[in-house]
Amino acid sequence: MPNDAPPQPIHSAKDALAALADILGGGLPGSVAAADDPAAALLNDPDVASAVTRRLRGSGSGAGSDSLCRWLYDAFRANVPELQLAVLRFVPTLAGVYMCRAVTRKALAGFEAVLLALYAHAAAQRGAGEAETVSLPNLANPSPYHDAKVPPKAKPAELDVAVLSPPLEPHGTVRATRRARIVGAVLELYHCKIAHMPLSSKMDFCEFCVAWAGTHSKLDGTDKPRLPPSPDAAAGGGVEKWRRVPLPWELFLPSVRIVAHCLLGPSPSDELKEQAARAAECLYWRATETMEARAVLASRSLVRLSQMVEEPIPEPSFSGAIENMAELEAMRANILSTKN
Amino acid sequence: MAAEWDSGSEAGPTGDWPPAAAAAASPVKGKAAPPESDAGASASGSSEAKVDDGNIQEAESSLREGLSLNYEEARALLGRLEYQRGNLEAALRVFDGIDLQAAIQRFQPSLSEKPLSKRSNKLRSDSSKSGSQHAASLVLEAIYLKSMSLQKLGKAMEAAKQCKSVLDAVESIFQCGIPGVMVEQKLQETVSKSVELLPELWKQAGAYQEALTSYRRALLSQWNLDDECCTRIQKRFAVFLLYGGVEVAPPSLASQTEGSFVPRNNLEEAILLLMILLKKFFLGKTHWDPSVMEHLTFALSLCGQTSILAKHLEEVLPGIYPRTERWYSLALCYFAASHNEAAINLLKKCLNKNESPNDLMALLLAAKICSSNYLLSSEGVEYAKRAVKDAESSDGHLKSVALHFLGSCLAKKSKAVSSDHQRSLLQTEALKSLNEAISLDRHNPELIFDLGIEYAEQRNMHAALKCAKEFIDATGGSVSKGWRLLSLVLSAQQRYSEAEVVTDAALDETAKWEQGTLLRIKAKLKVAQSLPMEAVEAYRTLLALVQAQRKAYGSAKNGTEDVENKVSEFEVWQGLANLYSSLSYWRDAEICLQKAKTLKTYSATTLHAEGNIYEMQEKIQDALAAYFNALSTEVEHVPSKVSIGALLSKQGPKFHPVARCFLSDALRLEPTNRMAWFYLGKVHKHDGRLADAADCFQAASMLEDSDPVESFRSL
Repeated sequence: MPNDAPPQPIHSAKDALAALADILGGGLPGSVAAADDPAAALLNDPDVASAVTRRLRGSGSGAGSDSLCRWLYDAFRANVPELQLAVLRFVPTLAGVYMCRAVTRKALAGFEAVLLALYAHAAAQRGAGEAETVSLPNLANPSPYHDAKVPPKAKPAELDVAVLSPPLEPHGTVRATRRARIVGAVLELYHCKIAHMPLSSKMDFCEFCVAWAGTHSKLDGTDKPRLPPSPDAAAGGGVEKWRRVPLPWELFLPSVRIVAHCLLGPSPSDELKEQAARAAECLYWRATETMEARAVLASRSLVRLSQMVEEPIPEPSFSGAIENMAELEAMRANILSTKN
Repeated sequence: MAAEWDSGSEAGPTGDWPPAAAAAASPVKGKAAPPESDAGASASGSSEAKVDDGNIQEAESSLREGLSLNYEEARALLGRLEYQRGNLEAALRVFDGIDLQAAIQRFQPSLSEKPLSKRSNKLRSDSSKSGSQHAASLVLEAIYLKSMSLQKLGKAMEAAKQCKSVLDAVESIFQCGIPGVMVEQKLQETVSKSVELLPELWKQAGAYQEALTSYRRALLSQWNLDDECCTRIQKRFAVFLLYGGVEVAPPSLASQTEGSFVPRNNLEEAILLLMILLKKFFLGKTHWDPSVMEHLTFALSLCGQTSILAKHLEEVLPGIYPRTERWYSLALCYFAASHNEAAINLLKKCLNKNESPNDLMALLLAAKICSSNYLLSSEGVEYAKRAVKDAESSDGHLKSVALHFLGSCLAKKSKAVSSDHQRSLLQTEALKSLNEAISLDRHNPELIFDLGIEYAEQRNMHAALKCAKEFIDATGGSVSKGWRLLSLVLSAQQRYSEAEVVTDAALDETAKWEQGTLLRIKAKLKVAQSLPMEAVEAYRTLLALVQAQRKAYGSAKNGTEDVENKVSEFEVWQGLANLYSSLSYWRDAEICLQKAKTLKTYSATTLHAEGNIYEMQEKIQDALAAYFNALSTEVEHVPSKVSIGALLSKQGPKFHPVARCFLSDALRLEPTNRMAWFYLGKVHKHDGRLADAADCFQAASMLEDSDPVESFRSL
């Protein structure tokens, strides 16, 4: 971090909480400050989240002297897993704002330091030079879930191995041509922990995903002007407009996976599903721009799945009418009266 | 014995069993009400049958069994009634009185094993079994309904615990799995539904690890599930694995036979399940579910394994997808797997006038595929034009895409036509399409880039420069080819030092490993500036990088490295050879060529360079032989054609027609080849066609001012 005079080292969630209270100025809501599990409070508290994301989105954030970035960096590097989750929670906003602004080549050393720390963590977790691979099953081989007639002494059929994410080379700085890879790897890291992430964090991602795609969902009607407006309009309006960014496969892939989770994962929120459906559609239109077939196939499937109705869990069936209804009625009265 | 007689006598005297049974039940259970007795109609029915049988002792024991259950049976039935009526809370209150543990213990001996210990009379043991099975069925159903009620009241966690207790109970009753034939239908139904319900409840409760365990338990234990139920569970599990984002341990290796596939992570397990589901459908075991194919498409596209996906799409039985839709999807798969020919053939079928000739997406894809191939480019123009027409009615976005592909196809086609007139027409049209596309979508950097390339190819360097800068701005300098375009355009304008500044800036923004193409440009820029020592230095850096890359990736060739950003070692030696030969360092040049040859034995470029050296050493015959060899390895090798033409043009008038032939041919392939124009002009001059000669020289001199250090096609 280019910042001079570090405030206080962060060793625990409690330190982090104290440091954050200083940075945000106004102090933290009482419920968070006094929480038994400060890391969980940081992760889940909506007030803290909105205060932090507001700061991250604010103009001038992400510079080398941004104390909030410093805090995110220190909190993540404290190596407390719960605290790391609380930092990851802000990845959508961080990555979202960063990518949009990086196109204009502003100095964003603060954001970059945090992203690089996350990237280094992902790289260390993966191991040097290790790609993330997937062996594709071949049904000619038996598996725990199915039997296959294998002639005795036959060799098992060869498996195709696909590379899901190439090895993560070490990076000490964000070079423009590796920016998408670094942010993509950070999003992969986020995706690994996405089950722990609160709803608002996922909502943030879907929102930025729509902006990144720069296309426009048919859900919103076809008459509206296409995104994004020019930067001058944004400057005047006070609220920064998030813009379209280059979406090479290395960034598209983790994005579409996160959107897929929001859309089809085990979340009960309809609001999230709706936002994710919009993001999926925008990604699809973006993919059609270059007709990159992988991206088109993946996002098209998501769009189609978002329109399908999930099969409900079967209800109990009651075959045959209940006999002796009158007696049951009597008994019912009896039981209900004895129980209460 | 006396007690048995006592209770027996209660039933005995009247023979009117139900009320007596109630009387017997009351003291045992304390709070049971008289009507309770009739609740379990079938259980009491079977008891009655035994009384008629005359065997009093047997009747008594089964009666007591029946009676002691009656209370719970009654509650089960009653709760079920409440549930059916939608009185969930009342149902819960009723169900709460059921003691599942106690019930299990009663069922256990009678159901789990063959009742060998009891007096074995087939009829009797069967009837007792069915009696207690019925009772078990009622109680288990009650707990299942309790779980459902809790779920509907929003208490997913409690619901899950209840549901789990049903399954635990079933497992402890049937210790060796559920026997297929011996289980009553109702009991089986309750079991199946509970098995299916449990993971969903855990998911709702946010207990993802438990959800996972219960999915695996559902699929890996013996529950005697029917195909449909099993299919639903497999599908939900696959969805959970694919999108749940839960880190999970893979299924254990225990009880795996050799050679079997054990998934290592969520994605593999999900893909396995989805493939199994598809296969089940193909075997007719389940009904078709379109979402399965979509999930599989998603999963396999993520891995880039679209050729495997294509196989699965091909296996789908006819009648499920409209065939044009299937062709389009297959084309996407093949195109993603770089089988362009297969893809375009499918699209041709799809776009046939008897199928769906106006399918916009298929037209766009066809145009896109054609835009990368000279031979297909005119076909691509047709597709793109149809797409533009189709997109007219939809929004601007797709129209812009269609115009973009039209422009690319036109540009490609312009390079393949033989007549100058046609070429310039096509070039103008290409520019027009691209500009129109941009007017519809000003934010698509790819469009800007393609327009820039087209301007550059047409030697409109001023416009090309503008596009290159705009592209770099729009992408924040994150795309390497933008930097290279800018640098090449600057080099074409002879602004070498600026080009170098750009290349250096690009090197700064590029990780070491990917600097190859930039270093190559840098070396060529040095050559162009006549700085041979610095050029050698630049080549040396490039060579070190390329060799390091070869060592790092040489063994593990996964094919994942993006080929476009890589420089081959062969190219480096070749470049050095050219550099040395231009300096007349013949020995060095030859050494470099030897190195190049060991990497690539039959290469037109190497042979051409060899010829070049011979020519400079005035070994005309050898030089010609080398050039012709180069041409026979690569029929359309333009530099060799130019060299042959140039060499022959110097050999006297009788060779002029041949020389002219070669030079014109070279210009047909590469209209911007300045040397070809120059020598053609010389031939014309020698033959006395001065006007033609002047034209050629003019072309050559104009092109000299706009020759990039490296062809724009390398981008």
